[in-house]
Amino acid sequence: MTALATETAEVAVVHRLEVRDVSFAYPGHSEVLSGFDMTVAAGEVHCVEGPSGAGKTTVLRLIAGLERLQRGTIRVDGQEIASAKRHVRPERRSVAIVFQDLALFPNRTVLGNVTFGMHHLRRATRREAAMDLLRQVQMDHLADRMPHSLSGGQQQRVAIARAFATKPSVMLLDEPFCSLDPCLRCELREEMLGLLRRAGVATVLVTHAPEEVEKFADRVTCCREINATVTVDGT
Amino acid sequence: MLISLVVFVPVLVVVSSVFRDSGGAWAHLAETRLSDYLINTLLLAISVPMIAAVLGVPTAWLVTMYRFPGRGILSWALLLPIAMPAYIAAYSLTDLLQRSGPIQSCLFGQIGPAPTWFPEVRSLPGAAVVLGLSLYPYVYFAARVAFASQPRSALEASRSLGRGPVATFLTVGIPMARPALIAALLLVLMETVADFGAVEYCAVDTLATGVYRTWFGLDSQNAAAQLSTLLLGVVGFVFMLEVINRGHRRFHHTSIRGGSRASSGLGRIGGVIAAVSCTAPILLGFAAPAAWLVVLAWQYGDPRAGEVLLKYGANSALIGGLAAAVAVASALICLFAHRAHRTWLSRSVVHICRAGYGLPGPVIAIGVLVTISWLDARFGGVVLIGGTLAALLIGYQARFLSVAIGFVGAAYERINDRIDDAAHTLGSSRFWLLARVHLPLLRGGILAAAALVFVDAVKELPMTLMLRPFNFDTLAVRVYQLASEERLEAAASGSLLLVLVGLIPAAVLATQIDRRPGGAK
Repeated sequence: MTALATETAEVAVVHRLEVRDVSFAYPGHSEVLSGFDMTVAAGEVHCVEGPSGAGKTTVLRLIAGLERLQRGTIRVDGQEIASAKRHVRPERRSVAIVFQDLALFPNRTVLGNVTFGMHHLRRATRREAAMDLLRQVQMDHLADRMPHSLSGGQQQRVAIARAFATKPSVMLLDEPFCSLDPCLRCELREEMLGLLRRAGVATVLVTHAPEEVEKFADRVTCCREINATVTVDGT
Repeated sequence: MLISLVVFVPVLVVVSSVFRDSGGAWAHLAETRLSDYLINTLLLAISVPMIAAVLGVPTAWLVTMYRFPGRGILSWALLLPIAMPAYIAAYSLTDLLQRSGPIQSCLFGQIGPAPTWFPEVRSLPGAAVVLGLSLYPYVYFAARVAFASQPRSALEASRSLGRGPVATFLTVGIPMARPALIAALLLVLMETVADFGAVEYCAVDTLATGVYRTWFGLDSQNAAAQLSTLLLGVVGFVFMLEVINRGHRRFHHTSIRGGSRASSGLGRIGGVIAAVSCTAPILLGFAAPAAWLVVLAWQYGDPRAGEVLLKYGANSALIGGLAAAVAVASALICLFAHRAHRTWLSRSVVHICRAGYGLPGPVIAIGVLVTISWLDARFGGVVLIGGTLAALLIGYQARFLSVAIGFVGAAYERINDRIDDAAHTLGSSRFWLLARVHLPLLRGGILAAAALVFVDAVKELPMTLMLRPFNFDTLAVRVYQLASEERLEAAASGSLLLVLVGLIPAAVLATQIDRRPGGAK
């Protein structure tokens, strides 16, 4: 049994992520988000869909702590991590993010990328844990390769393994499959989202692909325009 | 081919001197000063790049990544010390900080001995700090451009993976910028090893000052050339490191989004600390020495300063203008020939010309002097080139042709090869292609190259000292002579003029930063 699957049993079914009445505007611009709500339970995949500029990525950046919240609250595992007065730094939140462009460190090997988030572990343990994660995404045989020498799909797998390395409560996926060809996209997202579900991680998937929403979402929030978010339960 | 000989021959002549007899001068040097030359050069070669890195890298990170008061101005103001030639910074800071200077007078009164803890500029650490302050903008510029082009998502990924801002800087920012930083630090190292004016004024004996002293003091051409070979060996070693570094130059970013921009605030206290940290190098490396020169020129300046400046300034402008014109024309010929033929020979010529900037001024001067002495002797002792402006121009070409090739070459790379094909099919000859197609497209690169060669030539000191014709002093030489005679107040106005001229490359670099992704604008 894999390490990720083992953890599933320990995860209680609670709302791991709660986003309440969140509003946000970039400096010098009008509001991107207004009164945005969202809750995600352990092992659940919550899709956020909508057109470009509707604030989908901003939601992820706020949850990850890459932008400061102006109104509302964000909680992870019941702990308030962001509000107008409180801002827990990104590195202290139990939130991992996979960017649209993956953002692999170009100067580190595949293994180096995955061990990056395990700096609190001892060197030997770190390598072992990283190899275990790479095995789960079937990338252990390429551990010593540099990111640029990998295919798009392989880079996606490394990015997901790297995000898993911190054992996050919440995983944010910012259209990570959009640059892949349809066949590979389908195979990879099924595999990756299955992994996340089994690990009991609350997952927020930003997408503009309707078939992705249809197939994987436990809940959907549609960011159509400001002040008009609609959340639909079930798929 | 002929153009590359200007770089190649002086080096060959210097290296071949190893086998010539120096008449005991080399043995005398080896017994007396050589170990000092080597140790001091080594200590400076270690300490100056370290100081430049400490000043240049964190400041570049701060202005690239964070918003804080004055960031917009500091972003380009941090380049200002590049306008201050190291020897002028040394003159001004020494005067400012000496026992009778304004700072010590203010702190400890005007009489009595200086406290032992007070920093002495005329020392090896003093020379290291002065050179570090003058040269850190190279590191700052390289780091600024490298940080600005790093994908923001990679830095944000580091934060979400548990690394704080400082750890992200150390474990992601610096490693991703490493090739650019190493290249800049090696450039600083080369400049340090080649520096003459600042170390000479700070009374630090290095290989570069040794070459000059051996030439004039011991009157031994061969021993000076042998010492130059040693200096050339150090530079060659650094050059080799740079070639190795260039081999590992690029990290292939997998991220498609580039350009980190100042997006995070630092809070009130953090913002003040950042602003002070970025202001300090400008204050020490530019504002304080420049302000003191203004005070000296205003209060004690030579009443005939205008007349003197006009005379020496005209000489500097003449030689700078000639050097710029010849360098740009040579660069155009080399690059056009390479573009038209693309043979290994044309490529080698361009590479040789590019390498010239790494050659220390005294080494080139010795190489040119020995060569033209030999040529003059071949023509029955008739002075053909020696002691004329031509000798000085040849020396300048050897060193500054690489600057022209760099800028014109970069402009050439932006011209699609298909344009040449189109012009040829439309009936253009090679000359017309160059005159009517390339030159208008290369105008920006040519102007930048001409401006930088002009400034470099105007500021150049050791080569000018050694190669200038009799009774032909440039502004840099005049300033050096006055400062050597401790007449800094008389040298102040000339120094200020050199600083003003030096602002041109600072402005060129500032515009380069703004053109890059994530630049200040």
